[in-house]
Amino acid sequence: MHEVRFSGEDILARQLELAEANYRRLHEKGIRSVSVLGAIGSGKTTLVEWAITRLEREGLRVGTIAADSAGDDDHQRFVARGARSVNVNTQDDCHLDAHAVDHALDALPLDALDVLFVENVGNLICPADFPLGTDREMVVISVTEGDDMVRKHPKIFAQTDLVVVNKVDLASAVGVDPQRLVADYAALNPHGKIVLAQAKTGRGMDEVLALLGFPCTNTQW
Amino acid sequence: MHEYAVVDELISSLVPRLETIPGRVTAVFVRKGELRILSAHALESAFEFLAKGTRLEGARLEIEDVAAIVRCAACGYEGPPCRFGDADDHFAIPILSCPRCGGSVTATAGRELCVERVAVADDGVAGGAAEPADP
Repeated sequence: MHEVRFSGEDILARQLELAEANYRRLHEKGIRSVSVLGAIGSGKTTLVEWAITRLEREGLRVGTIAADSAGDDDHQRFVARGARSVNVNTQDDCHLDAHAVDHALDALPLDALDVLFVENVGNLICPADFPLGTDREMVVISVTEGDDMVRKHPKIFAQTDLVVVNKVDLASAVGVDPQRLVADYAALNPHGKIVLAQAKTGRGMDEVLALLGFPCTNTQW
Repeated sequence: MHEYAVVDELISSLVPRLETIPGRVTAVFVRKGELRILSAHALESAFEFLAKGTRLEGARLEIEDVAAIVRCAACGYEGPPCRFGDADDHFAIPILSCPRCGGSVTATAGRELCVERVAVADDGVAGGAAEPADP
């Protein structure tokens, strides 16, 4: 019996290289990019819809990659808002990966974009180990999932620096105290930012865009 | 269950690196940082299943956990992070904040996921699905 040592290259090195290539490709085109992660039904799509409208009003051209297991519902919603969009069906995969994003970028008019939103499959856990190459990442949850959502997924939230708590208008109807989510997150991630929002009406959304580094008036761009 | 995708990458990247190494692979030793969100049990099951028909069939996947180490840009601290939950709790979560000054930190260890070494039996049996030779 003998042992052969290896250099310690990351098992996902190929994914990391692809993610870095996506990052360079987007930067060469001057595109700012955001990954949107979150639970099923938390409001990721509504949030991106709102952002498309808001940023297009600022004169920014928005592209989207809409990932779901099946169908093109989210993609159609983004197109209806005026985004240049690509639909990606991951089928039995529970997450997007950098390779799928690379292909999606091939199908987007990158020269005609300023901003790209990549909406991942609704899943809080699996996408965490698969970097896509975007500038920023945010996690969307909603009060309807319960006020123990953060404490039930501590590892995710301890490593997520921007969290949106959506549907805060429904908090009293579902008996949830959003401040409990805020307090749990602050304990896990003292440097992270958390925003109480209502993507349907735009509440909190300017703050989300500002935290992502987008201007709220076109004079700042 | 993204562990299957991770193990698929592990096997497809490791098998070509073993081409020049004769013998039967009996174990693959992997270092897994605690900040990775991966189930050791699911990794082992995925490995057992996906290794079938490859050089790695029949090998054990041995996972070594690597504790997080953080570095603070503000005060220069480098060491273990604070934890969320009971300090004696095996599952206490590392907090990415400086335990000395409260500044923001970067993790210098704890995000690893790499093959460190493989064990190879010198029993003259080729790797893969072959049965050990009769004595």
